[in-house]
Amino acid sequence: MTQRKKYAIIINAAKCIDCKACMIACKVENNVPEGFWRNWINVLGGENGSVRTEFQPSQCMQCDDPSCVAACPVQATYKQDNGLVVIDPEKCIGCGNCVTACPYKARYRDPVKKIADKCDFCEDRLQRGKEPACVVTCPTKTRVFGDMNDPADPVAQMVKKEKLVQIVAPHINTRPNIYYFEGTKLLDWAVTPMLPGNVSMPREFWKTVSTVK
Amino acid sequence: MAATKTQMISRRKFLKLSGALAASTAVANPCRVLYALTKDSGVKNLNEIREVFSACDMCFNKCGLIAQVENDIVKKLDPNPKSLKSRGMLCARGNAGVKQLYDPDRLKYPLLRKGARGEGKWQRLSWDQALDHAAEQLDKIGKQYTRCGFLFMAGTDMQSTFVHQFAEAYGSYNIISHESNCLLSRNRAFLDTYGVMPTPDVLNCKYVIMPGANRFEAIVTPDTMDLMTAMENKSKLVVLDPRFTKTAALADEWYPIKPGTDMAFFLAVAQVIISEELYDKTFIQEKTSGFEELREHVKQYTPQWAEQETDIPAKDIKRIARELAKAAPSAMVYPGRRSSDYEDSTQIRRSYAIVNALLGNWDQKGGLLVPKKVKPGSMHLEAPFYEDNPDDRVDAGMAQMMFGEEGSFKHTRDAILKGEPYPVKGWMTYKTNPMQTGANRNKTIEMINTLDFMMTVDITMSDTAWMADLVLPAPSYLERQDPLSAFLASSTCSGVITRDAVVPAMFESKPVFWIVKELAKRLDLGEFFDYTMDDFRKEQLKKIPEVAKAIKEDGVYNITGPSYGLYKGKPFKTTSKKIELYSTRYKSKGIDPMPVYKSPKSIPENHFRIVVGRNAYITQSASTNNNLLWELQKENHLWVHPESAAALGIKDGETINVKSSAGKVTIKARVTKETRPDTVYMDTGFGVMSNWLTNIAGKGACIAEILEDRADIISGNMAMHETFVTISKI
Repeated sequence: MTQRKKYAIIINAAKCIDCKACMIACKVENNVPEGFWRNWINVLGGENGSVRTEFQPSQCMQCDDPSCVAACPVQATYKQDNGLVVIDPEKCIGCGNCVTACPYKARYRDPVKKIADKCDFCEDRLQRGKEPACVVTCPTKTRVFGDMNDPADPVAQMVKKEKLVQIVAPHINTRPNIYYFEGTKLLDWAVTPMLPGNVSMPREFWKTVSTVK
Repeated sequence: MAATKTQMISRRKFLKLSGALAASTAVANPCRVLYALTKDSGVKNLNEIREVFSACDMCFNKCGLIAQVENDIVKKLDPNPKSLKSRGMLCARGNAGVKQLYDPDRLKYPLLRKGARGEGKWQRLSWDQALDHAAEQLDKIGKQYTRCGFLFMAGTDMQSTFVHQFAEAYGSYNIISHESNCLLSRNRAFLDTYGVMPTPDVLNCKYVIMPGANRFEAIVTPDTMDLMTAMENKSKLVVLDPRFTKTAALADEWYPIKPGTDMAFFLAVAQVIISEELYDKTFIQEKTSGFEELREHVKQYTPQWAEQETDIPAKDIKRIARELAKAAPSAMVYPGRRSSDYEDSTQIRRSYAIVNALLGNWDQKGGLLVPKKVKPGSMHLEAPFYEDNPDDRVDAGMAQMMFGEEGSFKHTRDAILKGEPYPVKGWMTYKTNPMQTGANRNKTIEMINTLDFMMTVDITMSDTAWMADLVLPAPSYLERQDPLSAFLASSTCSGVITRDAVVPAMFESKPVFWIVKELAKRLDLGEFFDYTMDDFRKEQLKKIPEVAKAIKEDGVYNITGPSYGLYKGKPFKTTSKKIELYSTRYKSKGIDPMPVYKSPKSIPENHFRIVVGRNAYITQSASTNNNLLWELQKENHLWVHPESAAALGIKDGETINVKSSAGKVTIKARVTKETRPDTVYMDTGFGVMSNWLTNIAGKGACIAEILEDRADIISGNMAMHETFVTISKI
């Protein structure tokens, strides 16, 4: 039996030119409705300054301890064996808990389908033997996609060789599977998971995830 | 939408079924066929995804792509990794190509103007009616004013060659391209220095100076990618630009140079390199002509002097010159592309060409190269002779050294308005939008109003189509068969690409090849177009059979291998057979043989200089209405520096007036330090007149409305940075 996959993306933000090819590629591939995006590019303003600006792409981090999964009252969102956090559209009631529970603001409520949606590393493409649309289309190949559990995979090797960092929310570490090169400047944009209304995340969730000082 | 939901459910279910996936089958070329799941399938019911090679047409680059087609619907455009020009990428515009195909604003059938020009009242015609009408007008104007009384203007497109051939068969010399609104002054300068327009080997370069060019936003493949790769390999990038572009943002050094003073910078760099003897003496002696004249000439241009002109400190100019020389020959002044800026644009680019020569980077790794190129054949056209035709183009003699085959939009327009040297009363445009890209829109309208007939072939109702009498719908690049097209990529390759229809043409759209064939038939010129596209391609491939095979298998033909060291011992195609630091040809024509610096006109009080530029998701005016790209930018803004805005009491986001001698627009201000206090900027492609462009109608302002029309004296290229504007609160 083949080993379970653990998909990850490593982003070298220093190579991003903010051309937004990844955003449009994603939008077409996944039919993302107008006004919503599954991926985005943060800009560290070096406006008129001497500092080199950093354009930092991001998307759902397919966390190992996903707060969105903990926040879902109907178990519609779950983590698959291959590491991808996905949504079962048949179960999703569109409550929006997961949207605010995500520290990375990676989720949205699809106004057409009336359910939560987000990046799934283009699982359709993976099934057809293709890499995610954002990875493939990038002019400077800012993102590297692969399987962390395959020692021969470039991402597995990069994790060993390169000095990488993760963007972790305050108070809680959801153990994201997107890595950035050390020196990445925007590390503080993740927020503490929150819930609207009176639904609460199970106590076990806060216990199981590692806390961040 | 229920279908979508079902599709998603079954997908998830399917994913649980281990990796029992994707039986991929090789089918007839050029398509590969893969299978993916469909809606309610479970496992068995597989939908076929056809993969079809093509070349992107969202800008001029022709990047390789593989269309993903399901049930004859283009679902997605993926990059073709085999194209060594595009290096396996598609930019935002390339990805948005599906929305050029599936655009509700597309022209669907031929239209005849009913109301006044530009009023937007149209009558639907059948193709026969439309073609009969166009042929009648072509015949009438040809008879009344000579064949040269009809002007043809075709933009960068793989089928533009047929518009040119039609014009030749019809008998008009008045053919212009988009290029005189773009890069002709650059071509002129490098051609007159090197005898050829070289290609920069950015990939292997160790030190790049980019004056004005914005390669991380105005994407040119493969230079954009190669620049990033070079920087990863510790190459240094220095950007001179009055705006803080994304290229400036990513550069090692950025200097907000005073607009119009780049020549001063490079003459001073030349002065440092020469006075400190930092050049390769053997190279200068063997390969260049006029070095002693240049040495004398640049003595006056010291870094201290240049500091006063450029606002760049003398110590930095000196240091950059030394660093450049140290990195030579893998160092360059990047030639750039759009050079339609000043009345001495050609001479400004001559100063870049001269510094490159001093760096000895010709035919060297990391320098300026002329890669090997494939030349597809063509159908030979023996153009008929029309006795009553005038001797020359209508714009002949209006610039010192115009490219006869390109012409000048500015000078042609002036000649037509004057009616001299002879009347031009008809105009056909294809795949170009001078109403948005030609400075001084009011003058273009004035010109159109002097015409008896104007026809436009386009995909959507561009502003140029909006002003036409007859509008003919063209298919997008994904719906047509094109000839082969050679491309020049860079150091590592050049090649050939083509297009076949990925899906059938929608509505009643017809390619311009078919249109000119039909017009030719009606004008008794059918014999000149007695071939199909397949015949044409066969002729193109006659001497290069290997190309056909590669295109079939890979969607692209690449010539690989090093492209430097190819010209050792070969003479340059110039008068002196050497690189002309001093141009005897210029001298003989009364043009300064070496660039002589003149300060740009000083900006009058309470005025600003307006500059032109690009971002990565706008191709001039051709993409701003695209449903996907529009989401990235819904209107344009005037960039104003905070100091200038404060002095005028203008706040960020406030709608303001912008006025020049050419026109007046209203636009929202973007108050930003990303431009100099004396310089303002807006993106091209907004402020449209055509309300058939439904996303952007009524949004932003048209830069062509306020740009005054000046020309580069040597090439006749439009000079678009010579305009001063006032801005005020409403």
